[in-house]
Amino acid sequence: MARITLQGITKSFRNTRVLNTFDLDIADGEFLTLVGPSGCGKSTTLRIIAGLEAQSSGDVRIDDKIVNTVRPSRRDLAMVFQSYALYPHLSVRQNLATPLRLRDLGFWERMPLIGPFVPGRKEKLRALSTAVNEVAETLKIEPLLDRKPGQLSGGQRQRVALGRAMVRNPAAFLMDEPLSNLDAGLRVHMRAELAELHRKLGTTFVYVTHDQAEALTMSDRMAVMMDGDILQIGEPDDVYQNPQDIRVAEFIGSPKINILPGTNDNSGQLTSVGITLSQRLADATSGEISIGLRPEHLELCEKNTSGCFVGQLSYKENLGSDVFLYVTLNGGSHRLIVRAKPLQAHDLAVDEELWVKPDQNKVIVFGADGKRLRLVGATASEHAA
Amino acid sequence: MIHSRAPIAFVAPAVILMFIILIAPVFIAGTLSFTDYNLGNPGFNWVGWKNYDALVSRTGYKKMFSASLAYVLIVVPISVALGLGSALLISSLRFGGEVYKTVFFLPVMATLLAMAIVWEFTLDPIVGVLNHVLRSGCDIGWLHSFLTGSWLGMDATSSWYGHGCSETFPLWIGDKDYALGTIAFIGIWQAFGFNMVLYLAGLTSVPRELYSAAAMDGADSGWERFKLVTWPMLGPTHVFVVTITSIRSFQVFDTVEALTRGGPSKSTYVMVYAMFEKGIRQNLIGVGSAITVVFLAFVLILTMTQVYFVNRRVHYS
Repeated sequence: MARITLQGITKSFRNTRVLNTFDLDIADGEFLTLVGPSGCGKSTTLRIIAGLEAQSSGDVRIDDKIVNTVRPSRRDLAMVFQSYALYPHLSVRQNLATPLRLRDLGFWERMPLIGPFVPGRKEKLRALSTAVNEVAETLKIEPLLDRKPGQLSGGQRQRVALGRAMVRNPAAFLMDEPLSNLDAGLRVHMRAELAELHRKLGTTFVYVTHDQAEALTMSDRMAVMMDGDILQIGEPDDVYQNPQDIRVAEFIGSPKINILPGTNDNSGQLTSVGITLSQRLADATSGEISIGLRPEHLELCEKNTSGCFVGQLSYKENLGSDVFLYVTLNGGSHRLIVRAKPLQAHDLAVDEELWVKPDQNKVIVFGADGKRLRLVGATASEHAA
Repeated sequence: MIHSRAPIAFVAPAVILMFIILIAPVFIAGTLSFTDYNLGNPGFNWVGWKNYDALVSRTGYKKMFSASLAYVLIVVPISVALGLGSALLISSLRFGGEVYKTVFFLPVMATLLAMAIVWEFTLDPIVGVLNHVLRSGCDIGWLHSFLTGSWLGMDATSSWYGHGCSETFPLWIGDKDYALGTIAFIGIWQAFGFNMVLYLAGLTSVPRELYSAAAMDGADSGWERFKLVTWPMLGPTHVFVVTITSIRSFQVFDTVEALTRGGPSKSTYVMVYAMFEKGIRQNLIGVGSAITVVFLAFVLILTMTQVYFVNRRVHYS
């Protein structure tokens, strides 16, 4: 059980800034996901929490205790690595026992010849093997205990790596893209299992991933990182519905959010690709803006309806439950992805003319600097920040 | 299935060459070791196991085996340990590693025969720089008392250094007690840079994440991490380095030929030098072949051990 607080953390490698100053407060028992494209600094953040990397400035606190100079092993954290980082020369049982051996057995007790003569060692070993067996039982890897990591499949290795982290009963788990080496089906399965494990253990999880689907499905809160900054932090729903930055909007959500260019006049009236929006900007300053529309906030409408985009269907992507329609506007200068029901999409042919209506209440508007702009109007979105 | 002679035609040149150049000589040497053949003689007589008998019974050959074995047992552990140690130190450097790599690798690139001549000058008991330096220390009071241990109240003349000062310093390659050690020292000097490079290559293949995992698991000291990660992960490298160094040590020849010629009193009479002396210089092809066959057996045992370890122990996946 632990609350982890980062305060004013920065990190530079030589002259390259990889983390700009930011704060992060992870509550006790929370499942927090750091999500972002590769190279955004999310793994570095995790390694700073773990103590494997030293921050250039700022403080790391675990349960209100500053741990800047505390060794990784003394922070009472456990980490699961992308490559699993199992010791290949040790059996699964020995792999699981290693953290306990190093923590609980003294220097002499671990000595090959002298060890057996140290008093009290037997009891410690018994406790150790009980702990290993319990973890193996929880993760259902008992039949694998005597194998070497090289003889295991990816999913089994993943479990052993989890087990090695669990066996110490750490205050928090740090996970560095633990699922990215698994095949797609197994990844979805492990996603559910990890979420369940978190519920069962009630321990703080800090989870790093580049996969927005993992972040959305598993976390209590997610922090979207880009270029060394935390752009937005919040519950998955909120981050998805109310992105505060155009980069967050584009990164979260699959298929990607539709971004159309638009303009606004002095009164705050917004127009984009021939459509005037019903909502206005709260602070009207004329200039270029971008309009974000999620594929599920677009629907097909009748020909020649006002307030509808007109375009051509260029491609149909059938996912069974949904069909994504790729519509080119303005003869190819812009593209929209529209989510449609299979029934609606069934009769549509490629190159057909389509009319698409946006849900005016769900429009998200970003300024030229990429920041979210507030809207007002007859049906102003209550989400707008 | 198409029966064609083309595959055979393609493979034949390689197989024939391999047989003529590599395999046939081994069998010829094996056959000759049972004869009294001399180069240039029209014929030979079968002598049975007589040559091998000589190898196990005559003191000269016993000295040969013990010299070879002693050389290998000195050079292999020390040059492997030095190679590993220097590789670990160099890989932990932030900068300057290239300089050390180059310096330690220089003896490997140098021609050993040429280097042996330089060593001969260095080790010369009269004009050599080594004894010159040792002698010059005798006149410096504090250094003399430090090296002889007389500052601790020990008897100066009974110590190695004090004895050297009052009498004479060793003749090194001219002294039967020192010759093999000196040759072995040169062997280590020459071999460990090569081992260092092999270990450096091995170290780069150790995944960095394992060290992170070890740090999280509580391997706090460098020694713990070495025991948990570095040493086992270098398993394949260990086997390769030890085997290569052993074989190369068994093959030592040029320093012996250049510096001691097997002497004094056969203290450096190593196997390959014996082969050369018997088979080439004295033209006793039979005995020379017998030594060769025994030598081959040694190398074969080493190689088989390596194959065993490679298959069994050190590859984990």
